[in-house]
Amino acid sequence: MRFLLVTALGLVLLSLASVFSQMFGMMLTRVDVVVALVVFLGLRANTSEGALGAFALGYMLDVFTGRPTGLFPFLAVLTFLLVRLAAGLVDARSRATYALFVSGATLANALLATFFNWLTSSKEDSPVAISLAGLPMQVVLTTAAAALLWPLLRRFDPANDRPEAGVLL
Amino acid sequence: MFSLLTRFRELLLVAALLAYPFFTYLSFGHKGRAPNAVDRLILALAWPIQKSLTWAVESTSGTFNGYVALRGSHQEAAECRAELSRSKAEINALEQARLENERLRNLLAYTETTVEHDIMARVVGVNASSNFLSMRLDRGEDDGVKVGMPVVTADGVVGQIVRSVGSSSDVMLLSDASSRIGVVVQRTGSRATVAGGGGRGTLSLDNALRGDELTDGDVIVTSGVDGIFPRGIVVGKVEQVQRQPSSLFLQAAVRPAVNLRSLQEVLVIPVPVVTGPQALAAPPGGLR
Repeated sequence: MRFLLVTALGLVLLSLASVFSQMFGMMLTRVDVVVALVVFLGLRANTSEGALGAFALGYMLDVFTGRPTGLFPFLAVLTFLLVRLAAGLVDARSRATYALFVSGATLANALLATFFNWLTSSKEDSPVAISLAGLPMQVVLTTAAAALLWPLLRRFDPANDRPEAGVLL
Repeated sequence: MFSLLTRFRELLLVAALLAYPFFTYLSFGHKGRAPNAVDRLILALAWPIQKSLTWAVESTSGTFNGYVALRGSHQEAAECRAELSRSKAEINALEQARLENERLRNLLAYTETTVEHDIMARVVGVNASSNFLSMRLDRGEDDGVKVGMPVVTADGVVGQIVRSVGSSSDVMLLSDASSRIGVVVQRTGSRATVAGGGGRGTLSLDNALRGDELTDGDVIVTSGVDGIFPRGIVVGKVEQVQRQPSSLFLQAAVRPAVNLRSLQEVLVIPVPVVTGPQALAAPPGGLR
């Protein structure tokens, strides 16, 4: 149920982010709503449900890019696993900790995307410096969006049934 | 065996969810893939949200701007009438040139037929990743939009359709890092290639010979040799021309004629069918 809710929310948020990015003339900066949701799954969902949810969210992001390659489902599942591991070290029950997790995940996700993009394309087709130029603003905007989303996301988890932290299996 | 599968089912599931997209990415890499049934479903679900949100925002801002604009409307109307008269005169002159061009083309045994009229589309969003610069339009294959069709505005080139499904399509912007367009310098007729800057404000001019007579402010238009864009559509203006003695080619930037950040409406041009000597001479694909 939570998987379906988060996936549906992901579709709505991706549509909103797409329209607002165009409206505000953003070329290099995006609000990475998928990362915010994947981090939530990493902190609150169990492994199977969270990995499936992360895959579904990454798949939708891939479709939304206009040129789906499979990179974003992979990165979403990887981010989910990294968050699950990190959640074993930090107790992330508050809005502030969640936002902190999201900023770290956004940074890692964008760096990995740029790296893989650079790895698989010709030199002139992957201007790394330009790709990273919008990253600081992307981290700030995504963190702010995550902080705003926190009350809504908590509704998906009314019992606060946080699984045993950091356990993959 | 079955008990092992049951025992490690979570691990296997996670491994599969990681491995499948990763190997898909490594296999198909940068090319992307054609939309499948799931992609179409996702886009069909997202389209009404994007369309209605765009409509709501534009209606609100349109109402506000309309009210504000009323104050200067009389003066603006007079200016528009004068501009219209000038435009009509220019259209007449261009019509003469077109007829002459047609006669000359017939003499050279060129034939070029436009399949349909241009398709007007509204921009309803940008894509969700800054690694690939594209925009979503509210017209798709149901409206006759096909992959490969060029997209323009009255100011110049916007890009090329890279995906078309149902009621929406995606256009790769000319500023995307993998975009290439065959161009000529309007003043001199020198040929070159314009490459996307990947989000920089400017594009780069490639393959222009160092000896070419090129200066800042020269207008760059499409050459038509890529078989994608019709000839003569404005791409932008040349800036920062640099000639280095050690290089065969000069370096220059191109400022796009179209402001890609504030696009609202665009025209999708049905691909012209070109036959004759030019079609045989055309190099494959202007946009990679």
